[in-house]
Order: sequence, then structure tokens, then C-alpha cells
Amino acid sequence: MTTTSPPRADALAKATGREHYSADMTPPGCLFAGVKRAGIPSGLIKAVHMRSARAVPGVVAVLTRSDVPGSNRQGIVHKDQPVLCGRLVRHCGDPVALVVAKSRKALAEALSLVHADIEPTPGVFDPLSALGPDAPLVHPGREGGNLLSRGLMEKGDALSALKTCEAVVSGRFETPMQEHAFLEPPNGLARMTPSGVLDMTVSTQAPFRDRFEIAHALGLDARRIRVRAPYLGGGFGGKDGATVQCLLALAALRVPGRWIKMVWSRGETFLAGYKRHAAMVDVCLGADANGVLRALTCFMHFDAGPYAHLSTEIMALGMEHAGGPYRIPYTRIEGVCAHTNNPVGGAFRGFGVLQANFAMERSMDFLAARLGRDPGELRRLNALRPGETNAVGVTVEQGTDVAACLDAAMAHPFWTMRETWKKQAPPFVRRGVGITAMHNAMGYGRGLPDHAAAKLELTRQGTFRIYNSVPDMGQGNASAFVTLAATALSQPPEAFALIQPDTAICPPAGSSSASRTTYTFGNALLGACRAMADKLKARASLVLLCDEPDRLELVHGAVSDPATGGSVPLAALGGFLSRDDRMCVDQFIMPVVQNPPDTGREFRFGFPHRFYSSGACLCGIEADELTGRVRLRVCLITTACGRVLSRVGVEQQLQGAAAQGLGLALFEDLAVENGYIRAKDLSTYLIPTALDLPDIVCLALDDDEPSGPMGLKGVGEVGIHGPGPAVAQALEDAVGLVATRLPITPEEVLTALEGEKA
Amino acid sequence: MSGRTEISFRLNGRQVRLQTDPTRRAIDVLREDLGLTAAKEACGTGECGACAVLVDGRAKLSCLMLAAQLDGRELLTAEGLGTPESPHPLQEAFAVHGAVQCGYCTPGMTITASELLARDPSPDRDAVREAMSGNLCRCTGYVKIVDAVMAAAAAMRGEKP
Amino acid sequence: MTGRVFRPASLAELWPLLADGARPMAGGTDLLVAARRHGPCDVALLEGIPGLGGVDIENGHVRLGAMATHADLVRHPLVRRYLPVLAKALAVLGSPLVRNMGTIGGNIVTASPAGDTLPPLYALNAQVEFSSREGARLAPIWELILGPGRTALTPEQIVTAVRIPFPSEGLLHHFEKVGRRDALAISVASLAAIIALDDDGRVVQARIAVGSVAPTVVRCHEAQACLLGRRLDREALAEAGDHIRRVVTPIDDVRATAAYRRKVAGNLLLRLTGR
Repeated sequence: MTTTSPPRADALAKATGREHYSADMTPPGCLFAGVKRAGIPSGLIKAVHMRSARAVPGVVAVLTRSDVPGSNRQGIVHKDQPVLCGRLVRHCGDPVALVVAKSRKALAEALSLVHADIEPTPGVFDPLSALGPDAPLVHPGREGGNLLSRGLMEKGDALSALKTCEAVVSGRFETPMQEHAFLEPPNGLARMTPSGVLDMTVSTQAPFRDRFEIAHALGLDARRIRVRAPYLGGGFGGKDGATVQCLLALAALRVPGRWIKMVWSRGETFLAGYKRHAAMVDVCLGADANGVLRALTCFMHFDAGPYAHLSTEIMALGMEHAGGPYRIPYTRIEGVCAHTNNPVGGAFRGFGVLQANFAMERSMDFLAARLGRDPGELRRLNALRPGETNAVGVTVEQGTDVAACLDAAMAHPFWTMRETWKKQAPPFVRRGVGITAMHNAMGYGRGLPDHAAAKLELTRQGTFRIYNSVPDMGQGNASAFVTLAATALSQPPEAFALIQPDTAICPPAGSSSASRTTYTFGNALLGACRAMADKLKARASLVLLCDEPDRLELVHGAVSDPATGGSVPLAALGGFLSRDDRMCVDQFIMPVVQNPPDTGREFRFGFPHRFYSSGACLCGIEADELTGRVRLRVCLITTACGRVLSRVGVEQQLQGAAAQGLGLALFEDLAVENGYIRAKDLSTYLIPTALDLPDIVCLALDDDEPSGPMGLKGVGEVGIHGPGPAVAQALEDAVGLVATRLPITPEEVLTALEGEKA
Repeated sequence: MSGRTEISFRLNGRQVRLQTDPTRRAIDVLREDLGLTAAKEACGTGECGACAVLVDGRAKLSCLMLAAQLDGRELLTAEGLGTPESPHPLQEAFAVHGAVQCGYCTPGMTITASELLARDPSPDRDAVREAMSGNLCRCTGYVKIVDAVMAAAAAMRGEKP
Repeated sequence: MTGRVFRPASLAELWPLLADGARPMAGGTDLLVAARRHGPCDVALLEGIPGLGGVDIENGHVRLGAMATHADLVRHPLVRRYLPVLAKALAVLGSPLVRNMGTIGGNIVTASPAGDTLPPLYALNAQVEFSSREGARLAPIWELILGPGRTALTPEQIVTAVRIPFPSEGLLHHFEKVGRRDALAISVASLAAIIALDDDGRVVQARIAVGSVAPTVVRCHEAQACLLGRRLDREALAEAGDHIRRVVTPIDDVRATAAYRRKVAGNLLLRLTGR
């Protein structure tokens, strides 16, 4: 029995193919822009030969670094990434030339004729080597060399405390780069209008910030840049931070007056798009003989690639989560981000937390094995409760906690009947079950205001228009906003139209990311709804000659007076109010941790966080004894994410996140070698198909976040963490493989099976 | 044959005649010449299914078809399957069962599913998964897509939900 | 992506096009993907030529038209009844969309070491009918496929059919493909086996072919021989598996290591234990 819900506001238009994504917009007569990329991970550009490219009929411009005004540096926090490389190439995807042409055919031909003379120079391809004394410098002359950032978060004296622990386990855990593999590749349109406004439509998660990134890169005025963000065909963090934006803006600047379109091919997306950071995490975890955790030391190494993007913030969030959702009195968590000539590390759902979670959960499994404890029980024993302090010294907010999530998972038949299930394994198949816990903070943390402003309009016809400022990349926030507003104003959902983000007409908001979109914008929207309700009642009271507007009620299509039975249609109010008076705007900034702990001082942005969603994940796998293939047969995710506005909406997020987590656990491997991606298309970089995933069961527990819009919290990321460590634990259960890296390969499984026989 | 040729085919129930370079890809003809952008290019190499359209009732990858191959055929795209005002049961089911998140894979999914249901009106969940296994989705984890196809199949068999 | 495209309505119209350098195109699922990498070429569509599809029985042979799509074949009652090993392979080839377009002739001509139809066709002792202006000829499939991406065909010849000697009924047909995931996967090792058992369950005849573990499909004669007269028990199958490991020459690539392929190629026979 499946539940249905009123269709999301965007669902039918998308299902019938009527919704236009940025990639679908091709203004008649537009030009096409494309990029020539370095193709080698480290080098010195000697020359860029463009003459034959320029001569191709239909080519309008071939641009190089010398055509870039302003700083030629883009970036979200650190502006260190060239729009077009002038002298140095630092990764295979680095852009060297930009071609603009009248047709895609001419563009392709011209790109094939642009030839860059790049003298290869020694590169560096892992963080440890990068931080060594003789490492080639990714940014020569940079203070700090290849060390982008480092940090420390600690509580008490963990090193001494470890010495007094009765059980200490340790390990090195590695997670690889991950490709977002959204179906709609990075793309956009730009036109420099005669009035000097740069008009852009981009598949982007951060239209408001994009303006500043573009302005800084090209020496433009951010106020003269307009960015529109239609529905995205997926984002997952990979469209957080300029992809096509600065290149398109450059093209529009140099070829003004015409629309210019850029769409990355799938191959180019692999080559040039951001990736989840690869990480190596060293853990020492100490407990008493009963399994009560006492001390944790953790060292996280992040491979940033050549440009900072959000590496430091990602590392900070990873470090903040390194202790897991557990009670640990003494912690010492360190991290370093190193520059390498690998692909650029950027935002990806789970943002450092996935890397930390894998290491901590595997460490808990090591501890459980050492002490002969059940892995679920060990986690339950140490689960953080509200009011206690987490591993970095922040107090856990009130609400349903991870213990409840574990309890719900362990009460489920998947767990209680696991031994029976395992015994029923078919011939040549071994079954195993794993259970893990996770948590994921919401929002930007301290330092950067987690802000959104919302505008709500009463139309002249008495319906409403929500000006959405946070792009909908598929998480359904646009629809959630309709639901929130409809509930707040007692109107049917059909009364609401949505305007997708447009920096010219929507008030500003932060990015669609960080599990904060629905919470922060939702709260701003509810504020605007309150203002609108007050205004409607007040204006209606004039018509109804009612001297107590508070007693009036909003009903479908009208404001009514229960005392007299009179009512005013919203259409009448809409018809008689001026345009200014029909608008309500409000804003919200996510509350932050008060009295933050005295640690993690290096992190200006993003530490610490106040609100978390938690969860538990149960995975039942089958390992084939003949092939080593592993299949996920059973998957349960429990979560506490505040009030559930839409059960379907929460399930969508959990199922989708778990699918990405499972992909990383078993299939997804970019196979980066010396800076080259070997798995660079969808036939070698394998994301799960419909045959690779079971029916993922989701349980959202009763919970309430009082600060959230109608009690909700962000749930976009927490589901991704479970499958990696849960599958690893399940494989240890099934075949004795002790996996410390992802993805887990069939070859490792076969080797473990052979080890059993020996 | 090269340069521009006339191709003539039935598209979403109407006869269409076009002058075009027959070596262009079918997906480009649909998206650029005919303004039908439901078929999406997400890989260009047949690995994702987002470009699927029905050709003589068979779901095919329009990114791996040449315009010349459309001549004389009967094509159905997601736009022809139904409209927002009058959606096909599959489109309706995708919408109400939460099977649409970013929606980029959705048109291709519904095209593939419509071929499945034409051939097998009562598939089980495994058969649905198998039939959809050439259409990638990165958002949903497929669970609700299977739910939607099962529900649409029931609706098309005349069963009450 | 392509140079020019031609739509010959008959074989007679096709030959001059091939003589001029056009490449014949069946389903397009291999050719058009390769064209993206290698640049445009002239293409002659085969789909307009009648008589190249279909499944027929003709004096002791099953004849599969080269242009029959994988989807047509996997559902065809004659294929399901008489060539189950091929049907099993077709069911896991590519994806449902690829199967609607790809053809058996195309799979042969692409001659990928990982082509899913190939181990079954080798095990079935398939003959390939290929034609040119001069007429039609036959050759065993193992003589036609020379190496990765290479066949003995000249640019002016096309495959027109596959002829499979009518296999006896009551045989055990087995196929297994190992990919890294369960759909849209290139095989890293595959096994096709056709085994005749007597009333005692002992092997009277065995034909075993493995794919993706050498430049072309390998028929494992020693493995076949070692099973004769024995039941399909673990010991016999393990021994046969060891023989398989000795004759395969797998490579390391981004999908799998040679060591893994070799190990698995030998393991796959064990799936038949107890049959």
C-alpha cells in the first residue's frame, strides 16, 4: 500500500514534459559557447593557437585569459579559481579558451581546432604527499604552500583519556571522490542587454550569490546582473558555486546584445565539474569495558583539488560530526585540507559529514567486535540525548533523538528477524545485516547568516503569488512552500502560483543547500503569510465595518466575519489594493548556537551548528560467493527531522539520499589516477539502476522543531550517510570482510571469502 | 542523401513534414525544430534513457537515432502521452505517488513504462524494475517510480485505487 | 555526428554505397556512440532493406535475421524454446531501450570481447551468413570474429543472418553475465554452457564458452572434456573451472582486474552444482 499526496505543484508539468529547465531554453538566434579544457593535470601554458578555430565559418569569438577583465578569479569564499587560465593549469578540467559560435556544429569544429601548448609540470595527487616537504606547489608562491586550511576541535584532554581506556580501537578509513551525476548538466544562458544589465538564466543553486561571484571575477557591478533559476534537473551541491556562470558572463560581455547558451556535455561535466572531496580519516576510539565511549582522536585529511571552493567549510562540518551522534567526554579532532592537482572538491550532499560518518561508524563496529557487543546495542548505549553535549561541546537541542531512531530500527522486523532472514540465503549467497546511526546538522552554522527573505503577493484576482528565492533542484521546496502558505492562509493550494527565483524580483536568500532551504525560506514565508493575513483582515475590516479585525477569519477565497456572517472576496480586496499594498515581505535568519564552545576557532564560517536531524540505517545485503557481487536487498531508514509536513516529501529525500549513499558504497568510483579520471562517462562511472535498489523503507518519527516552519527541520542530507557503513558492517557479518574504504569491490569480497576457506 | 531532405512522420497523432539535414540526431529535431523538449539529453551515449521516445510503439533512445530514421514512423513523446489538463494515467500516477522530484528523468520513464504496460498490463514490481532498468534516476531511488507504474497499471486495468 | 546518411531499399542499392565507403548501420547503439569519438562517417541504414529480420526454421537450422533486435529475439517463441541460452543472454544485454534498438548482427560485427550474445552463439556452434555483391557465404562465428572490434568482414560485406544448428531438446542451457551492477553493465566475465545429461545425470556432451576474459570468446575444450561422464557436482565443476582459468587471458581495465576476471570465470560453472 503506497501513500499518495496531493501532487507537488511542479509534478504534472514535469511529468507531461511541459516544464522548461534551463537546458530547454534556446532563444531563437542564440549563440553557443563552449570551453577548451587543459586535459592534463598540471602544466605551464606556453601558447594557445586559435587561428584555425577563428577561421571556422560561424565562429564569433575565441577568447583567452587576456580577454578576461577584472580579477579572473571566481570562488565562493576564496577567490582562487581562474575563469580562463593564463599561465598555469592545475587540473585536467581547467579552462583554457572560450569559443562562441553561431551553431553547435561550428562550436564543436572550432573547439577541436583550438590547440593549447601546455608544458606538463610535476603534479601532486594526494593530500599526504601534497603536504610533504618536496611536493610540487599547486599555487606557487602561496603562503602555506599546498596547505589550504587546518583546524582543531577538542573537548578536554583526549590523548590522556585514551591511555586510561580499557578498550581502544583504531583505523584508517577512506572515502573517494563522488560525482553528482545530476541528469541535467551544468548549463545556462546569458545576454548583455543594451542597458548594460547582464541577464542570465542558469541551472544554479545560488542565484543571489552567483551575481557576486561573477562580479568579482569579471570586474562587474553585481547590481547590474540578473540571474534566474528555473527548476533544476538535479543539483546535490554540484551547482552550488559557479559552473558556467563566469564563462557565460565573459562571453556575453565580449559579444554583447545576443543570447549565448552553454551546456556542458556529460563528458565535460565529469572533466570539469566539482566532486565530493576524497578523504582519509584516522581514528582512535576508546571506551570502558562495557562499551561506554570515553575518548576519540580523529585526524581528517581532505583532498581539495586545486581550488578552495568550500573545502574548509566541508572539512569543518566533517570535523563537527566526527564524533557521530554519540556521547564522548574527551575528543581531539583535527583536520587538514590540501591542494592537489586532482579534480576540484566542492559541495555534495552530506558535505564532509559522509566522510566523517563512515570513519566513526566503522570505528564503532571495530569497538563492537573488540568487546563482543551487538553493533546496534553499542550505538544505543552511547546515543546522545537532548541536553547533553556533543563531541565538539555543543548542547543537543530538545527533540526526538538518535536513540529513538535506533530503537525504531531495532524494533523493526528487518532487525528482529535478521537471523532467520540470513539463514534463508539461497545457494551460493551469503546474507548479512548492518545497522548504523547518523546525524546531520542543518544550515550554515555560525559566521554566515543563514538567511532568506520571502515575498508574497495578493494578485488582483484574489489569488497569491509566492516569489521563491531558493531554487528547487528536485527536493520539492517549491511545493512545500505552497503547502505552508496554503495552510497558513487557509486557502486551497490551487490559489498559489510560484515564481521561481529571479534576482530582479525576488528578495535575496542564501543557497539551496545545507538542508536549510525549506526551514529558512519556509520561516520567512510564514512571516510574510502572517503579515498578509493581518493585512487582509485589516483591509477587510474596513469593508465589513468590523472594529476588531482579529475576530475575522480567512476562508477559501474570502475574509469572513463569523460574528455577522459577512465576508469580502479576496478578489475584491485584490482589485482595490495598490500593488505595493498587495505585497508582503519578511525574512528569517536561522538561530545560532549561543555561547559556542571555545574550540574550532579557525573556522570563520560554518561552526558550530545548532539544529540536527538524526537517523539510523539498516541494510541487509547478499554477497554472491562465486562473483563477489553485493546486492542491497533490504534497507530501512528511520529519522527524526521535526514535524513531517509531507510524508511523501520526507520519503523522497531519504530514498534518494540512500540511493546515492548505496552508489558510493558499491558502485561509484571515478578511478582517479595521477589527476586523470578513468571512469569518465556513465558506462564506467556506475550509479544505481532500478535493478540495484530494493524498496527502501522510511520511518519518520514523531518530532517537532519549535523554531521550524510548522515544526519541520531539514532532511535533505541525513539519509545519504547510512548505506556506506551499514553495507560495510553487513559484509563483515556475511563474509568476514573488514572494509575500511569505499566503494567496496567484488574482488575484495571474493578475497575475504577465500580467506575464510583458508 | 545529405543537405536538407524532407522527412515525413506521424508525431503525437499528427502528420509532420520537415526539411532537415537527415544526419541530425532525432533528439535535436524534436527539441530544436519541433519545440518538444520533454526528451532530454543527459548523456548522449544511450546510457541514461532520458531521451526515450516511442517509435512505432517501441521505446527508443532518440539521442542514438538519426532524423532519417524517423521517416515513415509513428512517434510519441511525453508531450503526446498527455497534458497537464488531461494527463495520461502514468503521468498522473507519477505526480500523485511522489515519483517526480527534479523531474528530468520523468518523461523518459513514462515513455518506457507506457511500452511496458502496453505489452504487460499486469506486471509485478520486479517486472517494472526490470523494464525501467535502462532509465536512470538520481533523485528518487526508484521506489516511488515503481509505485507509480504499479498504480497506473491498476488504473488502466480499471481497478479502483 | 555523421557525414551523410543513405537509406537503401534493397541489398542491390546497398553495395555501391559500401563500395564508396559508407558504413552499414543497424541499431546504431554502437556505431553512433563511436562516431562521437571518431568523427563523422557516411552511414547506410540497413533498416529499409526487407528480408534481414525475422526468425525462421529451415532444414535443421534456426535462422535469425541479422536485423532482428534483441527485444524481438528475447520474446520470440522459437528463440525461447530452442535457444534458451541465447534468450538468457539477451535478457541481460544493455537495457530494455538498448534491446529495442540493438541487433544480433550488430552485436556480432561490433565484436566486443564483452558482447553478450557471443558466448551463447559460440556455444551454439552458430554460423554467420554474410553477404556482398558476390552473394552470400557462411562461416562459423569463431572464424568470423578475429579480435576486439575486428571481424573478417571486408567493408563491402554485411552480416545478413545467424544460422544455428537445431539443438536437441532437453539440454541444459545456462548463461550468466557478471557486471558491476545489474543493468546497463558491460560484462566483466560471462559463461554460456549447453550440457547434455544422460538419465543418470551424467554429462554426455558439454559446450562451454566464456566471454570478457580474452580478446574473443573462448571455447573451453579441456573444461568440456573433463566433465564427460561425470555428474554436475561441486568437484567436477571446480575442476572444469580450473581448466577455464588456464585458458583465459583477461586484462586489467577500469571495470575489473585480470585477477578478478580469471577467478570469476572459473567460479561461474559452480552455479550448475546439483543440476
